[in-house]
Amino acid sequence: MFDMLFAGFGSVMTLQIIMLIAAGVALGLVFGSIPGLTATMAVAICLPITYGMDPIAGMSLLMGLYIGGVSGGLIPAILLKLPGTPSSIATTFDGYPMAQNGEAGKAFNYAIVSSFLGGLLSIIVLIMIAPPLGRVALQFGPFEFFAIVIFSLTLIASLSGDSLPKGIMAGLLGISFAMVGAAPIDAFPRFTYGFTDMNAGFNLLPVLIGLFALSEIFISAEKKVKKGLNAKLSKVNYKVSIKEYIAQGWNFLRSSLIGLGIGILPGIGGGTSNIIAYVAAKSSSKKPEEFGKGNPAGVVASESSNNAAVGGALVPLISLGIPGDTVTAMLLGGLVLHGLQPGPLLMQNSGDVVYGIFAALLIANVFMILFLFMGMKGFIRLLSIPQHILYPIILALCVVGAFGVNNRLFDVGALLFFGVLGYLMIKFGFPLTPLVLGFILGPLLETNLRRGLMLSQGDFMPFLTSPIAAAFLLVAAASVVFAIYSNHKKKKGTSVLNV
Amino acid sequence: MKSVLKKTLFGSVLATSILFLGACGGDGASEDANAGNDPAADYPSGPITVVVPAGAGGDTDLNTRIMAKYLEKELDTNIVVSNVTGSGGATGTQTVLDAKPDGQTVLAFHNSMLLNNVFGLTDYTYDEFKMAGVGVLDQSNTFLTSPDSKFQDIPSLIEYAKANPGEVTMATEIGSMTYIQTLQFQEQTGVEFNIVDIGGAADKIAALLGGRVDIVPTSLGLVSGYIESGDMVPLGVMAEERLEGAPDVPTFKEEGVDIVIDKIFYWGFDPETPDAYVEKFSNAMENVVTNEEYQQEIEDSWLSPTFLDQEATNAKLEEINASYQEAYDNSEQ
Repeated sequence: MFDMLFAGFGSVMTLQIIMLIAAGVALGLVFGSIPGLTATMAVAICLPITYGMDPIAGMSLLMGLYIGGVSGGLIPAILLKLPGTPSSIATTFDGYPMAQNGEAGKAFNYAIVSSFLGGLLSIIVLIMIAPPLGRVALQFGPFEFFAIVIFSLTLIASLSGDSLPKGIMAGLLGISFAMVGAAPIDAFPRFTYGFTDMNAGFNLLPVLIGLFALSEIFISAEKKVKKGLNAKLSKVNYKVSIKEYIAQGWNFLRSSLIGLGIGILPGIGGGTSNIIAYVAAKSSSKKPEEFGKGNPAGVVASESSNNAAVGGALVPLISLGIPGDTVTAMLLGGLVLHGLQPGPLLMQNSGDVVYGIFAALLIANVFMILFLFMGMKGFIRLLSIPQHILYPIILALCVVGAFGVNNRLFDVGALLFFGVLGYLMIKFGFPLTPLVLGFILGPLLETNLRRGLMLSQGDFMPFLTSPIAAAFLLVAAASVVFAIYSNHKKKKGTSVLNV
Repeated sequence: MKSVLKKTLFGSVLATSILFLGACGGDGASEDANAGNDPAADYPSGPITVVVPAGAGGDTDLNTRIMAKYLEKELDTNIVVSNVTGSGGATGTQTVLDAKPDGQTVLAFHNSMLLNNVFGLTDYTYDEFKMAGVGVLDQSNTFLTSPDSKFQDIPSLIEYAKANPGEVTMATEIGSMTYIQTLQFQEQTGVEFNIVDIGGAADKIAALLGGRVDIVPTSLGLVSGYIESGDMVPLGVMAEERLEGAPDVPTFKEEGVDIVIDKIFYWGFDPETPDAYVEKFSNAMENVVTNEEYQQEIEDSWLSPTFLDQEATNAKLEEINASYQEAYDNSEQ
């Protein structure tokens, strides 16, 4: 295997391919960092460009875009509280407070190093044990996915902030919005009120950037114009000591494994993994009350898990030809386009390309950390751009991004709608993340429930008798009981548990 | 600070210009057409947008992009492939109907549009479009099973399914081509499957490999790797004759089940589009299909490079539509 990897490095160590990877990472970072543009779009736009290249060169460019696109999201998340991609939602929770406390440099340090290590760990796992891990992923059918989604929905309890009822309401609202449009399975249009534009439902991207980015711009429009954060900039502290990193070791490992695991399961993806890793870090912390106020552990959890999901999503793609998320679905098309046959024989028949891809991933990961560290001081200075100049630019980019999702003006209208909704929710003290989680998970829940019932011919028992499903449902039930209990305690003022 | 502003500006300009890459260039493409009384002399008047109502990377997308690549040379203009997904393709098809009928927006899609109408999800179908033609046929529709399954050919499948009604699990996506194929198979053979929705092509592969379903209907080209590795066994192809690339796989017809299904990838315009434009486009497609490079590229993915002109496309679509309607009506009784 090591000689294969060596040969893989040999095949990508040409000036042209190294340049392509670097360009891919750079462009990916730009796409990832702009709210509204995502890794998926970067790959979609560049896929046709790779037609004329040989397979290894083409796939190397796409790997650069993938790694860059997932990583770029941390920049606006920390600086502006805007998740650049769904993968960096949880980075805003603690990254932004850190930046506000004058620790933007530190937050970047943590985020960049976590991204690098999370990515590295998952790529190594991908190279070493992709085939057996891919076989494990095959064990997950509708029953198992349904249970995982139920479990993930119970995380809303930990993301609700002060009021559990408000969190649950936001989560249910998210599920309701996800129901608009063609129903899963039978494609019957629901809640469209006769508008054909609504048949396709709401796309995640306008929902996400509307809720997080637009609402933030509306809120800031209320305040007096701030002239940037010049004063604090001079005191920016970049240094993170080795000791501080080591203190995050266990958190990093757990979050990376969560990212890897969720990445491997087809269909859930990085948008969920960062939130789950964040909640896991928070609930296992001795000081959960520090989360959300600028705790580096929150940044580490989110950023290591979303990059680890990259290697994870590639596991079923490389070993079985099954894509794990929207980007890998396009990479699958890229492989086919280059005359490769994705499937169990890919490694055997086109080992040179597969190991070329592995080498490209490792190199892209290095470019990613280099570019981010090089640009770090520059990014932080973004904060000194007056808001009345910065926010209109972001607003324009959000609109372009929403339109670019599907080339439809309807999505721009949806962006505005969710922007206003997000604004109102913030005003009335509703948390936004449960809505996004409900929106992402609602369709998965419904689809897998209905598929499961079709498989079992209407019998609910397999949801409980499948060992994997039963385990997840049990954990879900336990966490609900725990959440209700601790919420009850908190209300009584005897806040012992502090969850 | 100035340099940072520049960098941000540069980044955003870069991104937006890439997004609208297709919007520039391609001007003056029509200059070389014969001046005078050619009604299509001014066509195309700029870049052409091809709406693909399916995601990037799937077979519809790939076939369209291959054709588009050659059409760019034939029509001497930029062709931008735009993936508009949602509601089983209805969102994309509607986009083309809503666009200006100036021939600059064209739909590239397949049989699913007919199915959306047959299943009552849309109130329009193929005859709402002015068809330019077909450049690819997929004749490799097949039923797959796993190597340790109880049935390794069509007759044993029918026999087992008859003896155990509702027991054989068939993985489809409700409302898709594979779904109607399953209905047709049931109708013809009198068997009863447990039809389950599993999702798209990749989900079906995972379900069969994971042992959750018995039969997966799909395209041979999408699964040739699994057949070669022995992870999947094809029971037959729904073609008129055995495929050149897979001479060992019998046709359904040989096995006594009269199902012949071609997935056809057609290109269609808004009905108001001038005839001369559509004709010019159709001729360009014909030129592409006779190109050997194109043929090779299509054959590499187990598909048949076949040109159908405007008339033949409509006739073929009418025939497919009638068979779908019949299968649907029978299943409703």
